[in-house]
Amino acid sequence: MATLERMDWYDIARTTNWTPKYVQEDELFPPELSGTMGIPLEKWESYDEPFKQTYPEYVKVQREKDAGAYSVKAALERAKIYENADPGWRSVLKAHYGAIARQEYQASQAEARMARFGKAPGQRNMATLGMMDEIRHGQIQLFFPHEHVSKDRQFDWAHKAMDTNEWAAIAARHMFDDIFAARNATEIGLMLTFAFETGFTNMQFLGLAADAAEAGDWTFSSLISSIQTDESRHAQIGGPLIPILVANGRKAEAQKLIDIALWRSWKLFSVLTGPMMDYYTPLEHRKQSFKEFMQEWIVTQFERSLLDLGLEKPWYWDHLLDEIDWQHHGMHLGVWFWRPTVWWDPAAGVSPEERAWLEEKYPGWNATWGKCWDVITENVVEGRMEQTYPETLPVVCNMCQLPVNATPGPAWRVRDVPHMHNGRVYHFCSEGCKWVFEQEPSRYQGHLSLVDRFLAGMIQPMDLGGALTYMGLAPGEIGDDAHKYAWADAARAEHLKKAS
Amino acid sequence: MSGMDKAHINNMVGPIMRQGALAKAVFEAAEVDNPGKKILMEDKVAYVRIQTEDEMVLRQETIEEMLGKPFKLNQLEVDMASFAGRIETKAGQIRFYFAKHL
Repeated sequence: MATLERMDWYDIARTTNWTPKYVQEDELFPPELSGTMGIPLEKWESYDEPFKQTYPEYVKVQREKDAGAYSVKAALERAKIYENADPGWRSVLKAHYGAIARQEYQASQAEARMARFGKAPGQRNMATLGMMDEIRHGQIQLFFPHEHVSKDRQFDWAHKAMDTNEWAAIAARHMFDDIFAARNATEIGLMLTFAFETGFTNMQFLGLAADAAEAGDWTFSSLISSIQTDESRHAQIGGPLIPILVANGRKAEAQKLIDIALWRSWKLFSVLTGPMMDYYTPLEHRKQSFKEFMQEWIVTQFERSLLDLGLEKPWYWDHLLDEIDWQHHGMHLGVWFWRPTVWWDPAAGVSPEERAWLEEKYPGWNATWGKCWDVITENVVEGRMEQTYPETLPVVCNMCQLPVNATPGPAWRVRDVPHMHNGRVYHFCSEGCKWVFEQEPSRYQGHLSLVDRFLAGMIQPMDLGGALTYMGLAPGEIGDDAHKYAWADAARAEHLKKAS
Repeated sequence: MSGMDKAHINNMVGPIMRQGALAKAVFEAAEVDNPGKKILMEDKVAYVRIQTEDEMVLRQETIEEMLGKPFKLNQLEVDMASFAGRIETKAGQIRFYFAKHL
């Protein structure tokens, strides 16, 4: 039997808007869920998804993708890749799964909201597939780490992290809730699918896949790059919304939403991906620096697309380019110093060879961040371990929920950007985070950072032990140096030579 | 800033494929389907960037020929992890492009 080609019936099949007779249009599509912005229904119908897929095609292709990812896992299970992996690489896996896996379910709910409340039929069709994509991503990223739980309790955090008040989990939830869990169909299209998925997921899921392949972890490389093939399709949900918003006088709103999502994504990935790529991944397996991956995916690719769709560079673009040089070094130093408070074992990544690489990729590293690590290294060598642990809490930003930090050394640039609102002083790490707050103070004003909670007496006893209990970190889970301080061996040998 | 401030000024379009047989076939098809254009392939081990300036067309029958077996265009998604530029899907072909040349 002859069948019609897809393109001969696609447009008719997905034209599913109708004129409601029993309810008002706003009851069928409540503006607060649809994100109507006062634009009439027929204008949304001009939405034309550029990456078309039908349900039968979807099922067939997804089956093929899963068969690929699961068969790579099965084939390599006996190769003991995980057992033989560098401890720094294992930390990459733990941090990734804990921060990402459960958020995929949140993303699925966000896609479901677009599938139901999007006013454009094409958006609803693509979001139906996107909703199922995200369920796949949640399930597969819980299943893959599960085999390691019996060997290492920290892998339990793949499932557990988002249910705790661990600080990085709070930061991740605050950001993901803001850009998709608590947004309407139009906002999700712009913030989750356009800004986040055509921008930052590429860097995390493909940049990291390149490092994984170099490290010989083909299971992880194949898994996350396979996930990204779903993203490359459903990330296209947001793009076609932009011309509709621009044509109907809503360009400024579209720009603002994308700018918020991009800034917030940057801050979270500076603490998550930056340390993974530049410190945890074994030196010989680093495909590129974090900065180079940022340039490849965010600047060269994402920013170029933004301009093509008729939007502008975000107002903070120069701030972002500046921060790409240094922000993640401070995040890494903080994560390592407060290492008992994370569910993975941070790799210091500052052996002499690694420091030479950092200096090459980030000229000036030794004269700034290197000075901090000199002190830590000396304390480790001298056996003054108590001085390598924190006694106090950092000042945490009331937007990104991450420690306020900047490049140390002669050009001391640490800044606090305070903001008074309704009698409360909020502290921000940057003009970008303060700007996000100012766009909708009522959305953010009630949130207490971990430090706010500490000062409010919500964490008892008020010491590291109390904080760890509050964060749900049990002995056997709390982080320690990934390499048991072996990176200080060269300095130790030097020290002994001098002493003798 | 090693050219970071100018990096967004480029016109490179094309698919980013997971490594494998399909990526190779797509690169070969791109050379046939875009006569006169220089097709670049950048190998990042886990993925390859297949790119050219301003516009790239990929036809189903050319990819089939390079693969040596039947292939439907929607199967490209199995290994297409990302792409640069905008995409347009039509019967028998996919096009990557920018509306504006910078």
